[in-house]
Amino acid sequence: MSERAEQFQAVHQMACAAARLIRDGETVIVGIGLPLIAAVIAREEHAPNSTILFEGGAIGTKSRRIPWSIADSATSDYAQACMEVWRVLSDVQAGYIDVGIVGGAQIDRFGNLNSNTIIGQGSYISPQVRMPGSGGSNDIASSCGRTIIMMRLRKENFVDKVDFVTSPGFLEGGDSRRRMGLRGGGPEAVVTDKGIFRFHPETKRMFLSEISSRSSIREIKEFVGWDLEVAADLKSMEAPKELQMEIMARFDPLGIILGPSEEIRLDDFQSYYQAMIKNVLHHNI
Amino acid sequence: MKDRNRSRDKVTDLKTAVANYVHDGCSLCLGSAIAREPMAVAREIIRQGKKDLTLIETAKTSSGELLVGMGCLKKIEIAYFWIGVIGQGYNFRRAIEKGVPLKPELEEYSMLSSSLRLLAGSMKVPFLPTKSLIGSDLPKVNPKIKIIDDPYTGEKIALVPAVNPDVTFIHVQKCDPLGNAVILGNLWNDSTSARAAICTVLTCEEIISEEEIRRNPNMTAIPHYCVDAVVHLPFGAHPEPVDGYYWMDQPFRKNFVELSKTREGFLQWIDDWVYGCEENDQYLNKLGGDRLDALRDLEQKYRHGMTGP
Repeated sequence: MSERAEQFQAVHQMACAAARLIRDGETVIVGIGLPLIAAVIAREEHAPNSTILFEGGAIGTKSRRIPWSIADSATSDYAQACMEVWRVLSDVQAGYIDVGIVGGAQIDRFGNLNSNTIIGQGSYISPQVRMPGSGGSNDIASSCGRTIIMMRLRKENFVDKVDFVTSPGFLEGGDSRRRMGLRGGGPEAVVTDKGIFRFHPETKRMFLSEISSRSSIREIKEFVGWDLEVAADLKSMEAPKELQMEIMARFDPLGIILGPSEEIRLDDFQSYYQAMIKNVLHHNI
Repeated sequence: MKDRNRSRDKVTDLKTAVANYVHDGCSLCLGSAIAREPMAVAREIIRQGKKDLTLIETAKTSSGELLVGMGCLKKIEIAYFWIGVIGQGYNFRRAIEKGVPLKPELEEYSMLSSSLRLLAGSMKVPFLPTKSLIGSDLPKVNPKIKIIDDPYTGEKIALVPAVNPDVTFIHVQKCDPLGNAVILGNLWNDSTSARAAICTVLTCEEIISEEEIRRNPNMTAIPHYCVDAVVHLPFGAHPEPVDGYYWMDQPFRKNFVELSKTREGFLQWIDDWVYGCEENDQYLNKLGGDRLDALRDLEQKYRHGMTGP
């Protein structure tokens, strides 16, 4: 293995793990950050006919720089189409989109996600920590063919009960999601920095399916706010391949998403301008 | 519905447009987020001291932060309110968590359902159904979302009510003096919110002739009959980007986020960049021609090989 592939960080491993879940020919709606990187790896590696979409309305994006938001002008660069927000999210509702990649601040054992509010000792009206709100995450989680959830595994994130259900997973487990009338298939996997979780086909309870060499079952169990089940055939999370590391280096040369970089400074306009000119203009994200 | 302006020349200036169309207590939609976000409009609303506004949108970033931080908003009907990758919505957090400077009422939706409200408004139907929202906690905190059994299939479905904001401001690349508008790149819900609003004001990078509009009619996203005023406003979205015109000024945004971490820092920024620049030209002069040229240059280099302005 090359030096570069050995130097991978948890974020690289997460992006590659999520990328592997995307199949050729699929339509994939993503958020900014690791979800986008995962979708780009898939498209450049094993799923050349996959299509990346953003809820801002751009379809089939191939940007020459990393977008900073779902409605940054970079999302529409070299896209196949730009639609209104209601149109592209209606396409999600209608079943045109195979995969959605989402995140959240809290998740429970059935994959329900919270990105609205940490209520803490307060109330919905006066919460401890207010967060951005659903954005398109509720729509994507409700109606995409399946969802891939990406988030860091931390004690405050993997909780017995989320403070607020923004994006439905399997609700109360079993067939409760189907009975509610939600059209999408629900979460396929939760990709974290310490391992990958999947859902039992009947109970819909989350279990640990793959583990990172950087973690241990004991550590993961400590971080998860419920009595976690572990797969009998627990696998090791794959390390990024050399090609995948190359793709990531090519698409995020400034380390905007994948890690701190000395090349880009945002406190000085001239250095920002020079970094943009130098590194960003000829890459198709 | 209020009669629209039927003039063949709707061109006015920013101060007049905000004074005429934004009233204390009115509902306001600021079309688009990030790309083409109407930043200069938000700054003018603050300078004119408008208050008790209801912000109606799908998502808001920098412009929303300015308005909520200055206490202009009585209510927010929205799906997402934050800066994004480079930082949090510190003003939004202070307002909701601590009531600083005041606490707006929140009415939350998802991105699709908040868009469908504008679509329903644009179609003049009372509501639209969606398969989003069901099973989530959003209907529990927002009584305007109704979960019903579909009368045809019996399946659960969510209804969201139409909305017709008193005024929508949309920043576009090009429009003619009648208000036929060309939008490049992300469309957001702007051809929908232009129709849904009772009054619609376009601000634009360039005013072009009706003749030029007629050469490529498929490029017209907003037809003139739902537009009341047109304002020529170059760099009207700065520091956000405008496809084909200028790149995102990320250092400027980052500086705003850093200062916004404290109330004092935010107010200092407002003094410098809002009250300190009575006219939009003063704001652009303060940024400096070199910086504006560099942002144009990045966009031009970046769009090489693409057709555009």
